[in-house]
Amino acid sequence: MLANTADAWGAPAKFFHWTVALLILVQIGLGFAATLWRLSPLKLELFVWHKSTGMLILVLMLARFAWRLANRSPALPPQTPAWEHHAARASHALLYALALALPLSGWVINSAAGVPFSVFWLVPLPSIVAPDERLEELAKLVHFSLLVALCLVLAVHVGAALRHHFIKRNGILIRMLPGTWRNA
Amino acid sequence: MRPTWIVPLAFLMSTQVLAADWRMDPAPSRLEFIATFEKNAAPGVFKEFDTRLARFEPDKPDGAKLEVTVKITSADMKSGDVNRAIRGPEWFDFGRFPQAEFHAEDIRRVAPGRYLARGVLSLKGVKQDLEVPFAWQESAGAATMEGELNVERLQFGIGTGEWANGSTIGLGVRVKFNVRLRKEG
Repeated sequence: MLANTADAWGAPAKFFHWTVALLILVQIGLGFAATLWRLSPLKLELFVWHKSTGMLILVLMLARFAWRLANRSPALPPQTPAWEHHAARASHALLYALALALPLSGWVINSAAGVPFSVFWLVPLPSIVAPDERLEELAKLVHFSLLVALCLVLAVHVGAALRHHFIKRNGILIRMLPGTWRNA
Repeated sequence: MRPTWIVPLAFLMSTQVLAADWRMDPAPSRLEFIATFEKNAAPGVFKEFDTRLARFEPDKPDGAKLEVTVKITSADMKSGDVNRAIRGPEWFDFGRFPQAEFHAEDIRRVAPGRYLARGVLSLKGVKQDLEVPFAWQESAGAATMEGELNVERLQFGIGTGEWANGSTIGLGVRVKFNVRLRKEG
């Protein structure tokens, strides 16, 4: 089924989860490569890929957020302590917020830098702020701080999933895996 | 049959009365260049430049002389990163070539109000023939000279080395000018 149920994620939720997960990993690599590369045509190409991937993540996350609001989420196992419920809710909310805020802060950097940019060389991206070098520096700092926060919350997220699977031995991790894994 | 002295007299009068020297009014004058960056238009301006047009008579521009000097170091592309990059030797090389010049002594009318100035552009140590088309509008001692043309950046060694392939920064640059002139004297 497409919709989520009381104990299973539907196909769209899984698609969003793993597509965004993969894109975020690629995106972090692209971001570091583009930033650290010496000024050259390749650096500019890396930035176009990084910015384009960021806009793709932004669009996917908006659709994902809408889908999450329109759908129930599978429940945690009945014996789950209250603090884990709270921790899960808080970390998921943070992941959503960061996955939206990172591309938005990147968009601010690009606009403040006054650099013309088309998403995947196709769709011109309008500026959301006027060119301003001080704002650009501030937005870069915010962008990097959000990245550090994202890495920390991702570590908690992955650690918790592995704990559910290997220590608590419940189906939390398995039920997010695609297709045939569902009934394992 | 008109008297033979009329012709030289008319010629003398036309050069003295109509052929004027013009100087640029910097405040309203603009010189823009539009490069392409990853297939997007990347506009810039030269904030400081000067235009002089000597002995220009709109109906008979033969004897006129156009001189434009551009302070290359005044280039502004509205981005701190880009402005820092274009100073370097691969681009404008501010240190060695702070100024560009265009001189034309062949100005002809191609249509009413439309002219073509054929001259030489000296930019980044390279001299190249260049044709600059412009429209001329004059009223009460002031005039506007407006036009645009394409310049191939590689002809002037701008964007060398790995930038010479135009995939990230395009090879053609559109130059647009709108110059306000005042009649001298």
